[in-house]
Amino acid sequence: MFKLGKFGKKEKSKCEILTILPNDCVAKNGKKLILDNTRWEKRLHKELMSLISEPPPGVTVDAESVSENLSEWKINIDGVEGTLYEGEHFQLLFKFNNKYPFDSPEVTFIGTNIPIHPHVYSNGHICLSILTEDWSPALSVQSVCLSISSMLSSCKEKKRPADNTIYVKTCNKNPKKTKWWYHGKFFLMSF
Amino acid sequence: MSSEEVIVPASAPPMEEASTSTSSTPTVNTNTETPTEENKDKEDESMYECNICLDPAKNAVVSMCGHLFCWPCLHQWLEIRPTRKLCPVCKAAIDKDKVIPLYGRNSSKQEDPREKLPPRPQGQRTEPESTGFSGFGFGDGGFHMSFGIGAFPFGFFASTFNFGDQRAGLNNRPNATQYENEQTLSKFFLYLALLCLVGLFYS
Repeated sequence: MFKLGKFGKKEKSKCEILTILPNDCVAKNGKKLILDNTRWEKRLHKELMSLISEPPPGVTVDAESVSENLSEWKINIDGVEGTLYEGEHFQLLFKFNNKYPFDSPEVTFIGTNIPIHPHVYSNGHICLSILTEDWSPALSVQSVCLSISSMLSSCKEKKRPADNTIYVKTCNKNPKKTKWWYHGKFFLMSF
Repeated sequence: MSSEEVIVPASAPPMEEASTSTSSTPTVNTNTETPTEENKDKEDESMYECNICLDPAKNAVVSMCGHLFCWPCLHQWLEIRPTRKLCPVCKAAIDKDKVIPLYGRNSSKQEDPREKLPPRPQGQRTEPESTGFSGFGFGDGGFHMSFGIGAFPFGFFASTFNFGDQRAGLNNRPNATQYENEQTLSKFFLYLALLCLVGLFYS
């Protein structure tokens, strides 16, 4: 973590951070850092390292945001080629609590570009079953990113959910507090 | 990424990893083309990582669906959702009684896992199929057992009712007087026993 912080302050370019971090942190200081961490932080560290060293296509971690606070990650997702979201860029915010990975992370779209999708509300909340009741501790940040990317890719028509305006006005800030109703493979939402 | 690939939820089980590496996926397994020892070690280690904490599994248990966990990790997950006990990796039914503990060679030396809370489920042993010889042994054992039970509480009467046996052994006796003595002694005990019985009835 401290290493990450240092890189953040030096403001190295993202590419450099990506290449330097894994070797530096894991090989030399990794053990010491990990021992100081509690279990959930340890697991987040592991996930971060693998995400940085072997990122899935179109997914990048904002290492600077993670270096400031390990429990909040910003992750950039690119629209997949050949889908309705080709060429677009989105940002996801992951919030973890100390029950992770037994409790799911809080995942929302943030930033100016929130995808127009039948399961994504205009405030960034995502109706995806694995983020609440179908969560499993074997899932990871990477698998959640891939699921969201897949959800976007399978979209056939760009539109907001039918109940978007009501939901956005009345919902809790935390999407996990919404009682979601999932229909079939994917999901619609209700209160 | 196509949607189908993406849906696969978690870190794939070791079996799948192995199969994909042999086919064509280039991502992680490009390492295998230049197999340095470090890479090999890394892969070997990751094969035995707990699917929950991502560390090498401690107090390891394996589910019926073949997925490896630390027992404390899995136990915590089962406690959280007692009504929906599903394998975190493949969502197959899973339960405390349906996981198998893994004992490495030196695992017993380190610490008894049962002393740790929560206790890890026990391994189950089933006897190998019995051959003719082992069947004989079993019968022998049964004989001993019934003899023990039968003889002990009625030992008192058993010694008195053994006339048939002793008469048969008469010719082998070296000393007839000793036999007579025994005979009278046993008769005495028989009468004593009858006396006791009669006494019991009338008391």
